[in-house]
Amino acid sequence: MVEPILKVEEIHTFIGKHHILQGVSFAVHPGKVTVLLGRNGAGKSTTLRSIMGLLPPSQGTINLKNRPIKGLKPYEISRLGIGFVPEDRGIYNLLTVEENFRVAMLQEDGKTRERMETIFDIFPDLKKFWKAKAGNLSGGQKQMLAIARPLVNQNELLLIDEPSKGLAPIIIDHIIDSIHMLKEYTVIILVEQNFYMASSLGNDFYLFDDGKTVHQGQMEELIQNEELKKKYLGISG
Amino acid sequence: MNPVQLFHLEERKNRFRSPSFFFRILLLAFFVFTPFMFRSFEVLDVILKIIIFSVLVASYDVILGYTGIVSLGHVLYFGIGSYFVGIFMGKLGLTSYGHLALAFLIAILISGVLSVLIGLFSLRIRAIFFAMVTLAFMEFTFILSSQLRSITGGDDGISFKLPGILAIDFSYGKFLGIEFTGRLISYYLILLLSLILFLLMLRFVHSPVGRVLQSIRDNEQRSTALGYRTYLFQVIASSFASCVAAVMGGCFVIWVRYVSPDSSLSVSIMLDVLLMVIVGGMGTLYGSIFGAAFLMVTRAFLPKLQVIIASLLPGIPLAIRLSERWLFYFGLLFIVIVYFFPKGIVGTAQEIFARRKSN
Repeated sequence: MVEPILKVEEIHTFIGKHHILQGVSFAVHPGKVTVLLGRNGAGKSTTLRSIMGLLPPSQGTINLKNRPIKGLKPYEISRLGIGFVPEDRGIYNLLTVEENFRVAMLQEDGKTRERMETIFDIFPDLKKFWKAKAGNLSGGQKQMLAIARPLVNQNELLLIDEPSKGLAPIIIDHIIDSIHMLKEYTVIILVEQNFYMASSLGNDFYLFDDGKTVHQGQMEELIQNEELKKKYLGISG
Repeated sequence: MNPVQLFHLEERKNRFRSPSFFFRILLLAFFVFTPFMFRSFEVLDVILKIIIFSVLVASYDVILGYTGIVSLGHVLYFGIGSYFVGIFMGKLGLTSYGHLALAFLIAILISGVLSVLIGLFSLRIRAIFFAMVTLAFMEFTFILSSQLRSITGGDDGISFKLPGILAIDFSYGKFLGIEFTGRLISYYLILLLSLILFLLMLRFVHSPVGRVLQSIRDNEQRSTALGYRTYLFQVIASSFASCVAAVMGGCFVIWVRYVSPDSSLSVSIMLDVLLMVIVGGMGTLYGSIFGAAFLMVTRAFLPKLQVIIASLLPGIPLAIRLSERWLFYFGLLFIVIVYFFPKGIVGTAQEIFARRKSN
């Protein structure tokens, strides 16, 4: 069995007085896209924020390649090679596309140019709007920028939160194609409400309910299992 | 050549052809030739104060407009610069050029260290805490400067003379019909220092550190998640800006040759700086020049409205009485500017040009 790149065990996270994550556990293996699924408020986004240290868990363990990262500050976690694309995309609207990339570039090494070429291959629109203010981009372009930005660094793991949110179906297809290409370069954890996108991209899945992981398996199993889909995702037929 | 390199090449080519470049040259030429264009000391005084406050406001813009942290005590460092020069020259009688330079150096050092300490102490917690702490420090220093009479001269302040070529009675002779007095040399010295500091600030905000600061302003949590220890960057910005403010404080007293709590450390100066940055446009740096010019020119010339109206309309007492209310008109002007230039003069102009360009 291949060692997981990220292992989350029994984490509990509070937001104020609210006990949001009540025992979340999952493992992410190299070369795969792991999708976290569940209804609104199930704790998927909070899980990503807990991994990043933005909402530090009070209990449990998080190991990145066997190294515990729980308790580290977000900037320390980021520097260990985890890129994060938040739900609100988190792009800097007042900076240009170029400046957004330059801010994300923690250090320029020999491979930076290579990585930039890859980014331009996957997201050609970003090359076109290189000098434009990020705030003036369309929703889809903003999402591409948000996904591409962490790739300027040698990130081994990319956490993407709801990339399809607020996008037209045709743009979603484009984002799916882009993430497919990204799989070659980094391991991805995807939080997604859109089952079409989740099932198109995911290899493994974890179902969340009330702040806990309740089911896991391979995506093909979930696609076939109407009962699970109906119970936890509200999808029927 | 990849597309990114092509973009940069194009940018470099266009840099010296853009209208904004010519405008900047024109502005600099205006400041350089002011003494030749306007013989009145009053005008020269207003122009030099515009220069000094432009740089002071720009330094405040570095922390407010570019970093997004609200300081209510930025004038504290301006006061430190003013007082060190004042105390060295006026109280200690250390009046050589070396002592003048030393006064500047100590003021920069103290301002830098103090702002680092305040930043480390308060920026880690909450941004609003920083605003309160800086205000408290400024008030404390204001009280200190008015109480420590033996050192600061109390509320009366310190008047002093400057050495050699900076002394008022010094004259170098005439050039292009203008007598080069110590006053004029001070003007050019301050202009040169201001220019250097302004260019330094431009370099700073466009450096990688400046970009991170702008990202923190836009979305601090995101910058943390990208791997930046954000408060350290905020401390760097605050300490850099405070050093610039200290130098400008020193320059201010070199010009007025007097320092007191009201002239260099009061909350009303802080409010002026805030007004200037709002009028000029936050996060633009160049806006500081327009903001300072607006406030300084209106403050200097609006009170004279009554005299002007009286000479233009001597037989209409109502017009003369209406012209007495210059503060009211100042308020109106401010409202008009804020209404028509919601992002400040330069901020709104930049937006309009960007929109035209994209169309």
